[in-house]
Amino acid sequence: MPYNIVVLVKQIPDLELIKINKDTGAPVLEGVPYRFENLSKNAVEAAVRLKEKYGGKVTAIMFGNEKGTQVMKEAYAMGVDDGYIITGYTESNPRFTAKVLANKIKQIPHDIIILGNQSADSMSGMLGSFLATQLNYPLLSNALKIEINDKTVTASEGTEKFVADEAAPLPCVISVTQETNEPRFPPVMMIMKAGQKKINIEPLNLPAESYSKVLSKLAPKSERKRIIFEDMDKGLPEIVKVIKEVVK
Amino acid sequence: MRTLIFADNYDIAKQIMGRALQDSQFTLMTTESNEDLQNYGAERVIFLKGQPVYSCIGETIISEFKKGYDFILIGSTTIGRDVAAYVSNKLNIDYMPEVFNYRFEGNKLITKRFSLGGKVVLEEESSAKVLTVTPGIGEGVRSEKKSPSEEIKIPDGPIKVLGVNPKQSQGVDIEKADVIVSVGRGLGKKEGLALIEQLAKKVKGEIAGSRPVCLDYHWLSEERQVGYSGKKVRPKIYIAIGISGQIQHIAGMRDSKTVIAINKDKNAPIFQECDYGLVADLYKAVPKLIEML
Ligand SMILES: Cc1cc2nc3c(=O)[nH]c(=O)nc-3n(C[C@H](O)[C@H](O)[C@H](O)COP(=O)(O)OP(=O)(O)OC[C@H]3O[C@@H](n4cnc5c(N)ncnc54)[C@H](O)[C@@H]3O)c2cc1C
Ligand SMILES: Nc1ncnc2c1ncn2[C@@H]1O[C@H](COP(=O)(O)O)[C@@H](O)[C@H]1O
Repeated sequence: MPYNIVVLVKQIPDLELIKINKDTGAPVLEGVPYRFENLSKNAVEAAVRLKEKYGGKVTAIMFGNEKGTQVMKEAYAMGVDDGYIITGYTESNPRFTAKVLANKIKQIPHDIIILGNQSADSMSGMLGSFLATQLNYPLLSNALKIEINDKTVTASEGTEKFVADEAAPLPCVISVTQETNEPRFPPVMMIMKAGQKKINIEPLNLPAESYSKVLSKLAPKSERKRIIFEDMDKGLPEIVKVIKEVVK
Repeated sequence: MRTLIFADNYDIAKQIMGRALQDSQFTLMTTESNEDLQNYGAERVIFLKGQPVYSCIGETIISEFKKGYDFILIGSTTIGRDVAAYVSNKLNIDYMPEVFNYRFEGNKLITKRFSLGGKVVLEEESSAKVLTVTPGIGEGVRSEKKSPSEEIKIPDGPIKVLGVNPKQSQGVDIEKADVIVSVGRGLGKKEGLALIEQLAKKVKGEIAGSRPVCLDYHWLSEERQVGYSGKKVRPKIYIAIGISGQIQHIAGMRDSKTVIAINKDKNAPIFQECDYGLVADLYKAVPKLIEML
C-alpha cells in the first residue's frame, strides 16, 4: 500500500568551519556555508526506504531560508519527490518550528512524518514531541526499525536502557537516530537531475515567537597546551613522561 | 519554590535532586523502582508503574503539577525529552532544553546550554518553567529523613508497547576512571582493540570510544561512549587515539585534566583540544608507546 511520507529537513551552519574569535570568544558565522543537518539525512534515508518498500511519495519540508535550496537539492538526489522551504527561520525554538511545520503539513496529504531525534547544532531533541502533540498524533521516538502494516506502524524505540517494540496507528510521527540507517550517497545522475527540479519557496506567514533573551554566546575557554609533535621519536618520550606522572 | 522532578534514570534522578535541594522543595516522579531514591531529600517520591510511553507519563506529570508547583525539571534522556515537550505544549508553559546550569536572580531564571553543536555556551534569561537538564547538573546529597513514597499507574495511550528488551549492562563506569584510553573510527577494525587493551592495561585505564565505535560498529559497548550523547568524563588523563575530535565528542571529555591525542591527520580538530598531540599512525605509535611505558 503506498503512503504519503513527509520528511523534515534542517540546514545548519557547517559547524567544523565556524571559527572562534580569539579576542572575544565569539563564534564567527559570516561566510560559513550551510549544510545538511546530520540526523535530517537519516530521516530522509528512512523516508526514501519506506517509499521504496511500500510505494508512495516523499515530501520534504524545511523551515529555513533561501540558502536551503542546496540542501533541498541533496534531498531530491537522495529520492525526495517534492520539497518546500518556508523562509524566515531565525533561531532554534522547537515549539515554534513545530507550529510552522504543522501548518504546512496540514496542507499536504500525509500518513507518516519522519524527522531526526536530535539535531546536530541545537540538539534540543524536542521537535518530534512538540510536533506530535500539536498535531495530536502519536510519536514513535528513536525508531530503529520501521515497518508499516496497513494502517499501523511498528518500530523499535531505542532508549538508554531498553529497546521497546511499539505500534501506533497512522498518521504518526517517527523520529530516527544515527543508528537507524546509513544515509546513501546519491549517484551523479541523480544529483544532475535534482539540480533541475523545482523547489517550492514560501515565506513564513506567522508572527515569529521568541523564546529567551541571550545574555552571552561565547566559546567555553579551552586552556589546553596544544604541544604537537610530528616526530614520534621526540613526541613519545614527552608523552610517556606525562603519563608516568599520573600512573605510578 | 516547589519543583516537580521527572527522571527515568537513577543517577540523573539523584543529580537533579541534589541541585533542586539548593533552592526548593521538590517531589520526584520516576519510572525507576530503586527505593534508594527516597534518601535524597524529596518531599515525596512517586514511582510510576506501567508502560513507559512519553505522552502517558506526561499526563501523570501534568496532574501532579496542577496540585501546585512552580517549576519542572526533567532529566534529559530519550524519553525525558519527549515528556518535556509534551508537558510544555499541553500546559502552555515555556521550556528550555539541554540545560547544564541554571540559577535564579530574583524571579528571573538564567540558564546555560550548548549551541552550535557544543562550540558555544548560550547564557539566557527566560520565563521557562520546564527544563530538560543534562547529566551532571548536581550531585546527590543523602538526607537523614526518608521520603514517603507512593505508586501511580501510568495510563494507557494510543501507542501499544509490544515488548521491552533491556540493554545488557556490563557494569563499567568510565565516569569514575582516572585514566581513559579512548578510540575512534581511526582504529579501522575491531581487531585493533587488542593493541588498545594492552595500552589500557599499562596505564591502568578504562577503554572508551567515540560514538561510531560504540553505537555504529559495536566494537565497544554503549556504556563506553564518550560525548554529548554519551558519558561526560573527567579523568586525570584522556588519551584520544584515532578520534577526529568533532565537537560532539569534545563535549564529553572537555573537563579532562590532561588530554593526549594520537592522530595521523595533523589538521584533525582534536589537536586544538589536546595538551600533547602526536601526528602519527596509531599502529606505529601505540606499540612503541606500550614498549616505553
Ligand atoms: C546529535 C549528535 C550527537 C552526537 N553525539 C556524539 C557523542 O556523544 N560522542 C561522539 O563521539 N560522537 C557523537 N556524535 C558524532 C560526531 O559528530 C562524530 O561523527 C564522531 O565523534 C566521529 O567519531 P570519530 O572521531 O571516531 O571518527 P572520524 O571523525 O571518522 O575520525 C577518525 C579519525 O581517525 C584518524 N585516523 C584514521 N586512521 C588512523 C590511523 N591509522 N592512525 C591514527 N589516526 C587515524 C583520522 O585522521 C580521523 O581524524 C554525535 C553526532 C550528533 C549529530
Ligand atoms: N527548521 C527545521 N526545519 C525542518 N526540520 C527541522 C527543523 N529543525 C529541526 N528539524 C527536524 O527535527 C530534528 C530534530 O531537531 P531538534 O529537535 O531541533 O533537535 C532534525 O533532525 C530535523 O529532522
